[in-house]
Amino acid sequence: MRMPAFVRLTVRNIVVNIDPGTLIFMLGLPTLYLFVMGFMFQGINPNGGLVVQYHGIAIKYTTFLAPGIIALQAFTAGNIGGSMLWSDRRWGMFEQIMVGPFRRSEYLLGIIFVSIIFALVGSAIMIGFAFTIPVRFNITLAGIGLFILTMVVGTMLFSSIFLIISGIAKSMQAYNTITILLFFLLDFASTAFYPITNSTPGWLHVIAGGNPLSFISDILRESFISGVDYNSLYYSGILFVAMLIFFVLSLRVYKNIRSGI
Amino acid sequence: MDYLHEDQYEVVVENVKKSYDGKKLALDGISFHIKKGEIYGLLGKNGAGKSTTIKILTTLINFDSGNCNIAGYDLRKDSSKIRKIIGVVQQEESFDFTTVEKNFKLTGMLWEVPKNIREERMEKLIDLFGLQEIRKKRMYDLSGGQKKRVQVAREFMHEMKVLFLDEPTVGLDPIMRRKILQYIREQAKNGLTILFTTQNLEEADMICDRIGIIDGGKIVEEGTSEELKFKFGTLRTVKITTQTNVEKYINDIKEKIKTVNYEDISFDENKILILGKNVDRRVGDVLGSLYEMGIEVENVSIENPTLDDVFMRVVER
Ligand SMILES: Nc1ncnc2c1ncn2[C@@H]1O[C@H](COP(=O)(O)OP(=O)(O)OP(=O)(O)O)[C@@H](O)[C@H]1O
Ligand SMILES: [Mg+2]
Repeated sequence: MRMPAFVRLTVRNIVVNIDPGTLIFMLGLPTLYLFVMGFMFQGINPNGGLVVQYHGIAIKYTTFLAPGIIALQAFTAGNIGGSMLWSDRRWGMFEQIMVGPFRRSEYLLGIIFVSIIFALVGSAIMIGFAFTIPVRFNITLAGIGLFILTMVVGTMLFSSIFLIISGIAKSMQAYNTITILLFFLLDFASTAFYPITNSTPGWLHVIAGGNPLSFISDILRESFISGVDYNSLYYSGILFVAMLIFFVLSLRVYKNIRSGI
Repeated sequence: MDYLHEDQYEVVVENVKKSYDGKKLALDGISFHIKKGEIYGLLGKNGAGKSTTIKILTTLINFDSGNCNIAGYDLRKDSSKIRKIIGVVQQEESFDFTTVEKNFKLTGMLWEVPKNIREERMEKLIDLFGLQEIRKKRMYDLSGGQKKRVQVAREFMHEMKVLFLDEPTVGLDPIMRRKILQYIREQAKNGLTILFTTQNLEEADMICDRIGIIDGGKIVEEGTSEELKFKFGTLRTVKITTQTNVEKYINDIKEKIKTVNYEDISFDENKILILGKNVDRRVGDVLGSLYEMGIEVENVSIENPTLDDVFMRVVER
């Protein structure tokens, strides 16, 4: 049976990237967030645990946190995807693949696919962990559908962002610095860990509100907690458009990548 | 018209020009042809345009003008077909960030080599390239030469018609270098066409059927190593040891071998040193003359030119 070129490249990307470092980054870190932050914040209010107002309902903080941690998987997987292009350029494999039986577009598909696979597998594992905390999810078919769709679109958005950085970064230091900055900015100035409330300062409100990670977190909360409605579809639409814009930008950067660094 | 000999030549490069910055030409109308099963050596100093030529022929970068044809495919129109029938070992290091074995396996998988053949080939190559002890190691734990070995060996995991090798033996120890060159030679005997770049003249001399000396982005001399040595042979010295002291025959000998066209001759008891261009090919005449004069010869030696001499003369003139 013949495997299409992009599938072969996807398999290669998975084999090359399944190493302890990547696994810790992809699963270890969010697991730590989930358990440590979940329980620590829970402890802020010793009697009865921390309760968060969400869409007018009071829910346990852990229930609020879990979809945020799942959303993080889109960011992490997109980051791993972008880093693949970076390290393939760094270690001469980009050129080697480009002189092999592949097209440029197939290489790109290979990266996007592996990111999506990592995101879906990672978030499935996080959902599993979340249930041990435990959380109170309201699982519906529409919710699962929206969850998968959001993870795919979100991962493609972050892959595109990191592909752009990989494509233009001239040195390892530059790439790492930008990645780490983005990591902190997008992770912590988002609604992944805490809700935006009336007491949130205006500037943070703007950053967190425009942060794609907030969009993904909020859509996932609707998928798992409050239920899919018109509102969630509206946010998904915005996420999708943002993804398209960054995807087209990343294609342009990608097309112009010259061999070598 | 350019491809008059299309089936005779596996690689056709005609008047190719390339500039990276739009000003300076990295390739300035390079032309050469490689026959099927031939090893063609591109010999040139740093910055001569060897890697640029290889990058163009392997579809990695564009060229400004000229024509290229590989195994019957036009480089401009059929680049994706070309990529399916070539192998490339680039000058820069290149490896998957994992173990030696996985690098082989992944290459086999990417090229759709059936699994059983994949294993068999990998074992053979690991043996041949002396990688048995490091096969489980991660690539980044290897020495420079070991990495290079993996990089070259890995490329033989898949079938190909034309192989491009950009300085594949840099950093290898002499034993390994010889082994790898021998292996490459064998592949050419089985019909593989090879473009090989090097700065090591001895190496080019050893395995290339034909050599093109590239300088300033074009081929400035081309031929077999013998032809080049003959054409650009430096002064050679013929050293003759005789049984008798020759000093009293000096004038007679000079007179007799005038036709040899030597540039200098010197005598020292029972030694004669004759210096001149291609004098080595007139040794027979010299010995005949000495014999006629009754001078017994004990030993004759000729210092041969090396490809180094040729190279120095060509690129420095
Ligand atoms: N990416 C690039 N951008 C600009 N100029 C380049 C680039 N690559 C090569 N050049 C220039 O093109 C010329 C030919 O370079 P090339 O790499 O083909 O030389 P080479 O014969 O392979 O040399 P070496 O023996 O050092 O590998 C050089 O003058 C080089 O500076
Ligand atoms: Mg070079």
